[in-house]
Amino acid sequence: MKKYLALLLALAMMLTLLTACGDDSSSEDGTFTPSDTITWYCTSSPGGGSDIFSRKITDIITVNDWANGQTFVVDNKTDGSGEVGRLTVATTKAGDQADHTLLTFNSGDLMPMCQNTDNRVENFTPIAIMAVDKQLLFKGEDTPYATFEDVLAAVESGTAVTVGGSKGDDIATYEALMAELGFSETQMPYITYDGTGDAITALLGGHVDLLISKPAAASEYVEAGMIEAILALSNERYTGNLADAPTLSEVADGKYENVEVPVWRGVVGPGDMSDEAAAYWSEVLRQVSESEAWQTEYLETNMLISNYMDLASTQEYMAQYQADYLASIGKDK
Amino acid sequence: MENLQMLLSGFGTVFTPMNLGVCLLGAILGLIVGAMPGIGSLAGCALLLPLTYKFDPTAAIIMLGALYYSNMYGGAFSAILLNIPGDSPAVMTALDGYPMAKKGQPGQALMTANFSSCIGGFIGMIILTFTGPALANVGLKFGPAEMAALMIMALTSIGWLLGDDPIKGTITTLLGFLLAAIGMDTLSGSPRFNFGNIYLMGGISFVPFVIGTVGFSQVIGLMVDRYKETELPKDKLTLRGSMLTGHQFRRLLPVAIRSGFLGTFVGVLPGSGATTAAFLGYAAQKGFKSEEPLGTGAVEGIAACEAANNAAAAGSFAPLLALGIPGSGTGAVLLGGLMMWGLNPGPLLFTNSPDFAWGLIASLFIANVIALAIALGVIPFIVKILAVPVKYMIPAITVICFVGAYSTSNSMYGVVIMVIFGIVGYLFNKAHIPLAPMLLSFVLAPIFESNLRKAFIMSQGSVSIFFSSTLSCVFLGITLLLILAPTIKKIVRKVKASKTQA
Repeated sequence: MKKYLALLLALAMMLTLLTACGDDSSSEDGTFTPSDTITWYCTSSPGGGSDIFSRKITDIITVNDWANGQTFVVDNKTDGSGEVGRLTVATTKAGDQADHTLLTFNSGDLMPMCQNTDNRVENFTPIAIMAVDKQLLFKGEDTPYATFEDVLAAVESGTAVTVGGSKGDDIATYEALMAELGFSETQMPYITYDGTGDAITALLGGHVDLLISKPAAASEYVEAGMIEAILALSNERYTGNLADAPTLSEVADGKYENVEVPVWRGVVGPGDMSDEAAAYWSEVLRQVSESEAWQTEYLETNMLISNYMDLASTQEYMAQYQADYLASIGKDK
Repeated sequence: MENLQMLLSGFGTVFTPMNLGVCLLGAILGLIVGAMPGIGSLAGCALLLPLTYKFDPTAAIIMLGALYYSNMYGGAFSAILLNIPGDSPAVMTALDGYPMAKKGQPGQALMTANFSSCIGGFIGMIILTFTGPALANVGLKFGPAEMAALMIMALTSIGWLLGDDPIKGTITTLLGFLLAAIGMDTLSGSPRFNFGNIYLMGGISFVPFVIGTVGFSQVIGLMVDRYKETELPKDKLTLRGSMLTGHQFRRLLPVAIRSGFLGTFVGVLPGSGATTAAFLGYAAQKGFKSEEPLGTGAVEGIAACEAANNAAAAGSFAPLLALGIPGSGTGAVLLGGLMMWGLNPGPLLFTNSPDFAWGLIASLFIANVIALAIALGVIPFIVKILAVPVKYMIPAITVICFVGAYSTSNSMYGVVIMVIFGIVGYLFNKAHIPLAPMLLSFVLAPIFESNLRKAFIMSQGSVSIFFSSTLSCVFLGITLLLILAPTIKKIVRKVKASKTQA
């Protein structure tokens, strides 16, 4: 009797599965087409960098009708510093819902997630990386050091040189720089500000000696001659008004290696998202990254480097980034 | 004088029927959104920002300015009528606004708030016009040590709000400190006091916390005392009954002007914002004479914080326009709006696109007047809320509390926080423990903590950093005076008394 019941249940389950697949246009020919509203999670508040990124992408998709006429709802899940939103997406169950859920996921999200929770990239389906950014060190009018070599000399002679920056990914770059230079956090203390804007204010007011910032946020002030780049934290020099800043290997007679910690902006789905859906979204995001609107209205305005990665490369890249990061904070096992 | 000329040409750009219409629309929408508790000016501007895409850049910016301004007006409405602050600066407005409405003068309370907002706003804008970029440079002088010293002064002046029982007041003040410590440590980025709870990792959000302690606690109170009818005099709820008397206007004017100057200055400081301004405005009023004691529904109390709050909003435009640095979350949203139009607010804005910069300042002036006109227009109707019987008010306010708490982060977390603190707030009210000190220390503590720690990192742990700048010495000196004032007064009185005896 029990056996029959189990069989019956299994049958019923298969039936529901079949009907579910019938609703979802994904199964028959192995492709996926959105059939419902897409929820796009963003773990920072409206108006922030991640929010603009999410809304720009969804705008471009909607305008060009690349999602089968379905609507996107950007949901700003800011609870628990974003961890609640990330956990929600990671645990979304397979099926229609998982295929219609996307999350903006940046290097600045990955780091606190790995540091403070047990959630990992493996719980998501990495879909695309859209852009990367790097940082530079800047000096202000009140900074007593003319070049980065002067800074090195000052630190070695026992003067503390303060560095200001935002609480996001700037810290990881600062730590990489400290590791390369062999300085401790008391020799070159880092002052965390809520955002790069606040850190720039502090540099302009002469409250910190140096500023770590991405080029876009600092550009206007460089233009106005209020701050000046003294070190490019990348493997090659920047162009334009940042071209004068040397990379680390160029200073101190090549004593140090270059420091470059790429800051990326990407998109992931729930771990249970179907392969068809992941392939579909990856393709849509490729179209976005090649669109005119994306190039001029997003990348150029924010001085970002276009760096679209397809499914396979994104998965490999994010996994490697996480492994490197876990190793750097001693959480690799 | 050159600035004034630029401003006038700015007015030239703004005065078209289309722009004025857009301004009017922005003001109405802003007022509605601002009056909804929990939404506040930050989310309000973010929600309504997409609306502006439909217009040409000038019109869009004018609409944004109007939205921003009338949002600030709207915040006072629910604070005064329902004792539910729409946004954080309105916490101070509720202190005197709600008692005044209870006394049967809801219209006058709202008018006081709106007139003072308008006066404060104008003072802020006039200062902005004449000093322009120079004002922003004052803000730059404030580093961590100066901000920490200013916060010590502000926290000390909470002493004025402690009420009859200083011990109870001190306990709630410290409780505010503790609650603010929950969440991410802003300097190290690691979670603290979250007890393994993923929600607590982001800390206790301010809006549900305020709605709970101030608003929902009152719903509980209303339910408990629902049979005790307190009838409001019906004739007071008409247009004529809402008018300010000449005497009341004369009471608010000097206060609003004084607070306007103070508020502008506070608004310019990095990361302090309208709440700190409103609070300092109110605290400063304690040092001046008020006709009725503050906290019992005094015109001066409402005027002091509302004027400071709106002046700060204008003041925060100085760093926004001159340096491209938003002084608040709302400022950041506005900045985003400006950038949508290809404008780069920053040190070059006044040089590269003066038409735009001055057009924006001019539109703020107009937005201020229109927002005032609209706000005054709706007062006679909106005060009727108070005539609604308690049995209908309880469910209505409950819904507002829940929706407001939910909309902060679109999740039930806010609602849970709101209900818990609603119960805490009710119990505190019963035990006559004052709530305002807790709310204020909750707002000020994070600013104080992060600046104090930044200062200590910079000085490598040495206290000398607080005495090395004139500004922080001045603030610490004032703090010392505030603490010693009662003792000095007592001594002076004794000396005088002994002299007269002798």
